[in-house]
Amino acid sequence: MDQHLNKKIDEALQSLDGIAKATPRPFFFTRLEARMQREKSKWEVISSFVLRPAIVFAGICFILVINVAVILTSSSLNNPALQQNNEISAADEYNSVSAPLYEYVNATP
Amino acid sequence: MNESELVALLKLKDRQAFKEMVETWQDMVYNTSIGFLQNEEDAEDISQEVFIKVYQSIYSFKGQSKLSTWIYRITVSKCLDHLRKKKRKKRFAFIQGLYSNDNNLAIEPPDFVHPGIKTENKEISIALFKAIDKLPPNQKTAFVLNKIEELSYHEISEVMDSSESAVDSLLQRAKKNLQVLLKDAFI
Repeated sequence: MDQHLNKKIDEALQSLDGIAKATPRPFFFTRLEARMQREKSKWEVISSFVLRPAIVFAGICFILVINVAVILTSSSLNNPALQQNNEISAADEYNSVSAPLYEYVNATP
Repeated sequence: MNESELVALLKLKDRQAFKEMVETWQDMVYNTSIGFLQNEEDAEDISQEVFIKVYQSIYSFKGQSKLSTWIYRITVSKCLDHLRKKKRKKRFAFIQGLYSNDNNLAIEPPDFVHPGIKTENKEISIALFKAIDKLPPNQKTAFVLNKIEELSYHEISEVMDSSESAVDSLLQRAKKNLQVLLKDAFI
């Protein structure tokens, strides 16, 4: 039984002896060229849309608007006068919240 | 036309040079692909992808190895990538099947018979190719290049960028693994 099994295994391993090379179907190059042309066309469509002047202009404007917004926001945060105003208004808010409590606690009966 | 002239023309995207390259190596690429993928449609698809990759990446070819070695490397890489993607899809489909109410059985692909096998060996080679499919990637690569492409140890070591002794070791292990797998298949 073992001998028979080993023989079968050897036969299977030797089945590749004298194997001929597989070849693709005829006109492989024609099909390859057609595929390359299809893929090139797909990229041409995408790039022709993205490179339209209106799209490029809109993209540049969008980037500029974002940059200006970021610059204005950061400059308002760094402005000392504005910072002081912010501090004062924060302090006022604190006082208005705490003052009634202080008066209540310290009010003479 | 010698190889360096061919490469120079390929870098200039010369159509005739590209056609000559494809016609010279299409059988090599297809035969290697079918050895890995065991499916004629997949082998044709991957063969096309190999030549597209060669066309797009020819600038990166420095001439340190033969052009055929470089093409073999691209072929092996594409085939192994394809097999990995196929395995992932199978795993995902299996998990989906666990959660769906669909009781359809998964359809197994038909048994693969390599077109170049002699008629008297076709039946028994089916079991061998099923076993080859289960080998780890490195062993499968060495085995396919040696037994199906009939490359020498030296040529395989250049493709796999390893030593001849490493290739020998891979082939020994591949043979042992195939014996175990075939034993399970025949019992």
